[in-house]
Amino acid sequence: MWFFTATVLGLLAPSLAAATNATTPFRVALPSDFKPAQVFKNTNVVRNTNLEKSYARETVNLVIENIDKKPQGDYYVPFPADVFERVGGFEVRDKKAPQQGRFVVTVTEPVASSETQYFIVHFPEPLAPKSQLTLGISYSLLSSLSPLPATINQNEKQYLSYRFSAYVPSAYQTLTQKTKLKLPSTDVPEYTTTEGLKSGADPERKGATYTYGPYDTAKVAPGTELPVSVRYEYTHPVITVNLLERDLEVSHWGGNLATEERYWLRNNASQLTNQFSRVEWTFASYQKAPTCAVRELTYPLLPGSVDPYFIDDIGNVSTSRYRPGTAKTGANLEFKPRYPIFGGWNYSFKLGWNNNLSSFLRKAANADSYVLKVPFIQGPKMAEGVQYEHVVLRVVLPEGAHNVRYEILEGTTSNGLPGQNQINATFSSLKTYMDTLGRTTLTLEVDNVTDEARDSQLIVTYEHTLMDALRKPLTIFGGLLAVFVGIWSVGNLDVSIKKR
Amino acid sequence: MAQSSPLDIVLKGSSGQSTRGLLRIIILLTIAAAAVASRLFSVIRFESIIHEFDPWFNFRATKYLVQNGFYSFWDWFDDRTWHPLGRVTGGTLYPGLMVTSGVVYHILRFLTIPVDIRNVCVLLAPGFSGLTALAMYLLTCEMSTSPSAGLLAAAFMGIAPGYISRSVAGSYDNEAIAIFLLVFTFYLWIKAVKNGSIMWGALTALFYGYMVSAWGGYVFITNLIPLHVFVLLCMGRYSCRVYISYTTWYALGTLGSMQIPFVGFLPIRNSDHMSALGVFGLIQLVAFAEFVRGFLPGKQFQKLLTAMVLLTFGLGFGGLVLLSVSGIIAPWSGRFYSLWDTGYAKIHIPIIASVSEHQPTAWPAFFFDLNFLIWLFPAGVFMCFQKLKDEHVFVIIYAVLASYFAGVMVRLMLTLTPIVCVAAALALSSILDSFLTMGRPDPEALAKAGAEDSKTLRSTSKPVIGIYSFFSKLTVSASVTVYLLLFVSHCTWVTSNAYSSPSVVLASRLPDGSQHIIDDYREAYYWLRQNTPDNAKIMSWWDYGYQIGGMADRPTLVDNNTWNNTHIATVGKAMSSREEVSYPILRQHDVDYVLVVFGGLLGYSGDDLNKFLWMVRIAEGIWPDEVKERDFFTSRGEYRVDDEATPTMRNSLMYKMSYYNYQSLFPAGQAVDRVRGSRVPAESPQLNTLEEAFTSENWIIRIFKVKDLDNFGRDHSNAVSFDKGLKRKRAAKKKGPRVLRTE
Repeated sequence: MWFFTATVLGLLAPSLAAATNATTPFRVALPSDFKPAQVFKNTNVVRNTNLEKSYARETVNLVIENIDKKPQGDYYVPFPADVFERVGGFEVRDKKAPQQGRFVVTVTEPVASSETQYFIVHFPEPLAPKSQLTLGISYSLLSSLSPLPATINQNEKQYLSYRFSAYVPSAYQTLTQKTKLKLPSTDVPEYTTTEGLKSGADPERKGATYTYGPYDTAKVAPGTELPVSVRYEYTHPVITVNLLERDLEVSHWGGNLATEERYWLRNNASQLTNQFSRVEWTFASYQKAPTCAVRELTYPLLPGSVDPYFIDDIGNVSTSRYRPGTAKTGANLEFKPRYPIFGGWNYSFKLGWNNNLSSFLRKAANADSYVLKVPFIQGPKMAEGVQYEHVVLRVVLPEGAHNVRYEILEGTTSNGLPGQNQINATFSSLKTYMDTLGRTTLTLEVDNVTDEARDSQLIVTYEHTLMDALRKPLTIFGGLLAVFVGIWSVGNLDVSIKKR
Repeated sequence: MAQSSPLDIVLKGSSGQSTRGLLRIIILLTIAAAAVASRLFSVIRFESIIHEFDPWFNFRATKYLVQNGFYSFWDWFDDRTWHPLGRVTGGTLYPGLMVTSGVVYHILRFLTIPVDIRNVCVLLAPGFSGLTALAMYLLTCEMSTSPSAGLLAAAFMGIAPGYISRSVAGSYDNEAIAIFLLVFTFYLWIKAVKNGSIMWGALTALFYGYMVSAWGGYVFITNLIPLHVFVLLCMGRYSCRVYISYTTWYALGTLGSMQIPFVGFLPIRNSDHMSALGVFGLIQLVAFAEFVRGFLPGKQFQKLLTAMVLLTFGLGFGGLVLLSVSGIIAPWSGRFYSLWDTGYAKIHIPIIASVSEHQPTAWPAFFFDLNFLIWLFPAGVFMCFQKLKDEHVFVIIYAVLASYFAGVMVRLMLTLTPIVCVAAALALSSILDSFLTMGRPDPEALAKAGAEDSKTLRSTSKPVIGIYSFFSKLTVSASVTVYLLLFVSHCTWVTSNAYSSPSVVLASRLPDGSQHIIDDYREAYYWLRQNTPDNAKIMSWWDYGYQIGGMADRPTLVDNNTWNNTHIATVGKAMSSREEVSYPILRQHDVDYVLVVFGGLLGYSGDDLNKFLWMVRIAEGIWPDEVKERDFFTSRGEYRVDDEATPTMRNSLMYKMSYYNYQSLFPAGQAVDRVRGSRVPAESPQLNTLEEAFTSENWIIRIFKVKDLDNFGRDHSNAVSFDKGLKRKRAAKKKGPRVLRTE
């Protein structure tokens, strides 16, 4: 009899306790005529722009000084509104003490009258008057490189153009500043030169590095722009994932961590002027000529990954190859899309594999508490980089898991993800494989991620009791018992119309 | 008993019965499992994928059903096929298959099992073949008292290649469930005739209705059951049982079948269904005659009967002819005619003749599909003559009819297979029953009995008849075992080699022995799906219509549901004409892309150039003045693609698209077509109105984009030669807006 009691109790148990940390990103609304108060001064600004991948990666080092009379804790970093929505993995640290972790950063709502939006950096403790602080800001700018010309022939070189302001955008007055551009090649047919801002040639060229500045901008009003552009050869694809859905399913019974990823991929490289020619492509592939088409993607998997599959809407993509690798090196999934993906072409597909759960899950000292440590995103590893416009990560925990909390591991360097307050986290329940309550599901949504976030780790802690684990077998047992009893009692009914 | 052994407890008496029953169930389940397992070759070797052509439509329709619900499926008007006509899909298909897998899908989803509808569709046919084996057991058990006949028949049905050919995993076609329904309906019918029970008759009607909803081959049941009854009547075997079961089946079954929109009023208007109606009338008269016979003396009754029979026959026949002539009853359909005259289709309906499965069967196919069953089959039928109860009459009629049909059309081998399994099982079980029993009469006891009976005549005493020699028993059972083993290995071999290729995916072997998959179809279809506008119209030959709809998800002009011959002929004409003629056709039909299949590089023989003559013939059927088959043959009557090809051939759109730019893959003048084994002209054909948009890795699929009208109002050939820097040939200067030139 206790089976029934147990089953009923199991069915009635609450699925989600309240103690979880769901967050939705919030944005600070600013008044329409807002201007940050001139309480800081940038003594020196050095910006490094790295264009070696198919998106721009910038790190800005600033020495700032509080010129106000009171201690100040909020530093505003401005961006033009159109660029602002494509800023990914924005992170600020104290350059001199990076181990202290990232500063809390909030973002502002767009304001109709102003074309500027801000990241507000909150210092852990306000900066005293007259004292200085060295900030290291790092972020990436997605879809900031546009192919020029926009259409090319199949075997032509591709050129990308990058426009920016040689004066680093800042809400505060800047004394000296310079910008270092790192380009992927020395084939740079066009770049803007400036006159009279500094002695000597501007920009200064050294191999594939172009340096604008240093400029003395003590007299230049904050917010002044000096538009410059460079155009350089980059015959590689510009891989953009419009949407990545990543599911991680934890199964205690199976001891398995199942991963499935769904990609909606697009190549934002130059489009083809004419149509695709198979003959040219065959010869070009034979010669291994550089191309801006995606020929193959390599996807390193963690050691111990098994049963990989690579499918799309119409079935298995037979051109993929899986190299299982050793326990140390990890496996490699080399997959070729069905067709080469040229500029402007789309390709959507699905990838999945299994891992042994024991290398990801640890049982905490507390009896029913578990800690799960999984990569936040994995994604293909390409020399030209991959940019993700929107990532939805779903962690499906076992049925009945409660007290779920999550955390993203922070190291001394950037993990490529924005601050935790910019990640949308929701909890829901998912019914699958004869669940009665549904499995607790943590959904994390984040915009503008690049493949720099490949090494970021997500930690999920939850509680899961023995009763939770036994719920399903008991339910199925109860269900089968009910079916047998039902059949037996129906079989015992006499419905014949014979005389008895 | 002196010789009782411990086993006797489980082998004899009532517990022995339950042991045998349990054993029987286990054997049947094993057979069902074997039937399912032997159909999974393609899933294991390739993947869970829908095969061939028609299944892609069924799959697409099932997805529509699952997504939009039953009622919108019922009223489905599909504007993505037969552009610009569209197709009333909900009213022109047999919904049984889609509804079945929809129900299975929803049940699994209700149990929160996250199953993909594709996997339901792929595995439906193997699942139902397991059920067919069970139904076969039931049917055969009705025919024979031998305990082994049913099990043998179930095993034969489970693995006979004739049935596997249409029910491997992924072959998601109507036949997948229809054969189960066919066999089960026949079982219920036999049960009804035996018992004379309304319940069994009604069940027969119910499953008949299901069958009607699932497959056009239901007409076979519609004619076979009346024929059975008719023969029984002619044999003077009228009985209340036959009357009850037939009238119940006919009334309920006909009403049930009329609920399917595609069938509608056919059961009372179409000639194919008239025999059922006629026998229904006849059995009423016979019943009336039987009733009257009770009241009249014999002689008068004879006269009355003769008069009545003649009168009703005359009236009925006259009425039928009159109704047929006046058009109330539809004449026989074309496919039906081709059942009687194998040459009919080739002359009158090229579109039916162009389908390979409508060709007459070659003799080796019988052995290929049925192996040793085919020579046991006549023996089994002969044994039915020996007993000749009502159900044996049914077997005989079924055997005769199905043999004929299977000889006429390859795909009707499917309807022959069940009865071959029944007959072969009857024959084999009687062999096994007489040769596998170890018991032999004790000569001493016989002698004693003979001595006791010596008072009576010698001839009346029971002589010892039978086979008691151990040697002959061993020989026969050993050879039967060998045949059975050969049968299993043959079935496995045939299934693995002939029937398990998805045909969407081609397999080849690399030099190191590993499997290499040639996946050009899906490559090109997925390219279309991902990189063309959602409503880009694709023109291709009708064979690929369903696949384009299913895999590329793009509107097509024609597809495998060949309901509009003119539309197909239009596509044929566009393919077989000069560009100047084709381009207006393409523009008028909003065609954005043209898709051709070309096997020249790989040696893939099922390509469009090999089907080209059918396109020409079908187009010629509608436009005999514009398209002529003769023009595609050289003066010596050869079908050539090389330098000797006729100008009509070389200017046809199909030829140009197939060989466009093909020459540049080879050194100058060395281009070879590996399918037709001939050297291709050194110069690439010039395409003015189309441009190559995509060619798959092995060139099997080539997709061409139809050019828009020229911006300067030139015609395309002038524009192309201008772009090439050629001098304009004639100064045909035109002004005015862009116009579509029609010729």
